[in-house]
Amino acid sequence: MSTQATPGKYGFLIDVTHCIDCRACNVACSVENNVSMDSTRIWMNGTGVVGEFPELSSSTAPFHCMHCNDPSCVSACTVGALTRDHDGIVQYDDDRCIGCRYCIYACPFQVPNMDLDEKMPLIVKCDMCGDRLQEGEQPACAATCPPGAIQFGRREDMLAKAHQLITDHPDKFIQHVYGEHENGGTSTFYVSPVPFEELGFPMTSSTSSAYLNRLVTHGTPAVFGAAAISLSGIYLTIKNVKEESAEEARIAAQTAVVQAAEGAAAETAAIEAEESTSEEA
Amino acid sequence: MRKKIIKELQDMPKFVYVLAVLVVFGAIVGLYRLYAGLGATTNLSKAYPWGIWISFDLSTVALSGGAFTLAALVYVFHMHNLHAAVRPTVLAGLLGYTSVLIILFMDLGRWDRAYHFLIYPNVNSALFEVSWCIALYSSILVYELSPVLLANTRWKGIIPVLEKYTIPMVIAGVSLSTLHQSSLGTLFIVMSERLHPLWQSMLLPVFFLISSLASGLALIIAGASISRWVFKRSLPQNLIAKLGWFLPWVLGVYLVLKLGELEVMGELHLLLNSGRYSVLFMLEIIVGMVIPIIMFSSKRVRHDRTASMIGAFFVMFGVVLNRFDASWFAIQPIPGVEPYSPHWMEVAILIGVASGVFLAYTLIGRYFPLFDETMVVESKRKETAVNPQLTASEIGVAE
Repeated sequence: MSTQATPGKYGFLIDVTHCIDCRACNVACSVENNVSMDSTRIWMNGTGVVGEFPELSSSTAPFHCMHCNDPSCVSACTVGALTRDHDGIVQYDDDRCIGCRYCIYACPFQVPNMDLDEKMPLIVKCDMCGDRLQEGEQPACAATCPPGAIQFGRREDMLAKAHQLITDHPDKFIQHVYGEHENGGTSTFYVSPVPFEELGFPMTSSTSSAYLNRLVTHGTPAVFGAAAISLSGIYLTIKNVKEESAEEARIAAQTAVVQAAEGAAAETAAIEAEESTSEEA
Repeated sequence: MRKKIIKELQDMPKFVYVLAVLVVFGAIVGLYRLYAGLGATTNLSKAYPWGIWISFDLSTVALSGGAFTLAALVYVFHMHNLHAAVRPTVLAGLLGYTSVLIILFMDLGRWDRAYHFLIYPNVNSALFEVSWCIALYSSILVYELSPVLLANTRWKGIIPVLEKYTIPMVIAGVSLSTLHQSSLGTLFIVMSERLHPLWQSMLLPVFFLISSLASGLALIIAGASISRWVFKRSLPQNLIAKLGWFLPWVLGVYLVLKLGELEVMGELHLLLNSGRYSVLFMLEIIVGMVIPIIMFSSKRVRHDRTASMIGAFFVMFGVVLNRFDASWFAIQPIPGVEPYSPHWMEVAILIGVASGVFLAYTLIGRYFPLFDETMVVESKRKETAVNPQLTASEIGVAE
């Protein structure tokens, strides 16, 4: 139960300066994974058009599951439908899901999607195109991206590349690799010319809420044990105290009776003795 | 037989029919929700995946906390003179939990797989813990209530056998309640990024547990007054006063912890400069804690039926508002998304389920020996005729 989970095997590097908002990645994902464009696994974030004419600018970036090192959704999922596999990919088992939507609230990046208009809705989220990975291909979004804004590879390579980019071009990029520390570290890294808040990226703590959650939920058996033991203890203690005081009261009452009886007996004896003496006399 | 049934129905108080209509309407809307899906019948969205149903569940579980608080006081702490309150309170708890289970079922996108929480455990999940505890604890409440339900049936012979295990069952029940009352607070730890810092805290499980003690006690006090109107039966006022005595202590600890946590986290300034969040939080503190603490500290209030009831309603208001804040009002909005407000069908289903609770309570109170140990409240007219000055508390004391 540490704050640091092992990093995943694969990673994305998304260079916001190269994104041209063509949305080919959205289409590719939708086709590859057979999901509708409304409740999709990938969507666009952006600044909108900013600045004064003629100095207008706009930055956009695709956004999908970050594949956290310690995913909040996996911690939250009631039935364990969300898991993180040995490659660090956050997988979703649509045969288990009960549709409680706790993962949607738990995810600090608001990634898990659900088409509520469906009668029997399920969660929709990126799985890094697991089938393509097995065949040695890149995820559909990365393979499609015309300007090459989405790169895919080994996680440590992507992270190193991201850092190299921002150190080599400090004029072009802000000095922040988004995804390196967000929510305890993820497998998706962004480099951007504008602050990530302006792109509409969620600003998260560097400690995964999954870790905070485990701090509490792992205490559950202890709390149950402590409650059961202390309640039993209180019950027995008060019971004994009550029984003891009842016993004492009983003994006290008995002694009083015995004493009274003895007193009476002594009195009778004395009277008898007196009587006999008087008779003798 | 048929005549008897018709006579029975005619004798029912009129509000029973109103409740029945609401239940039927709620049930129809509920079935439609299961058929048509969440999108057509609720205003839930990706930005607000949980709504008024979850707020209702949290509030109802907190109020049903009366059952475990009282069971602990009577059986574990040997306060046997409070025993008269056990049956009515356990029934309230059981019906409360039943309504929560129904609403949770409505809330599941895949209600056809509701049983999955039993076979696919995720021990890290607070929601998993809560669902298990609620299921187990509901069974224990059925057990605790079984003497009442079986008393006039041919199975009444097993009641002594059942009652032999009361103590271990009560201890298990209180332990389970400790767990799920606090785990409901834990729910919000993993989603801490979405909750306003005034409510977000690592102490949420502790807050939820303590406040459930307060709202549970308040429910018993208020319930005693309500059953006086509905069933002409109630607890003697000296018992209500005894329960009220606990409230300033419980609420005091709650208040100190809540403000202390803000102070330690350096968030105390948020109390005043968070706009409507400040108002909500202050309402919880002032109406739900400070006023009841002052009220129930006074012996006169504790021994006055009306004042106790008003104080109890303040406490329940504070705790219910807290649950609504944590699960709805204080959830941080997502830019560009309209805040959640419930669909009328969500509300209709809730009203139906809540009416079902009151209806079931009324009917069980009518046909089962629920109030055997409680005192009979004389009818108003007679009371005034005998002695206009005679207050309920005096009747209670006399009893």
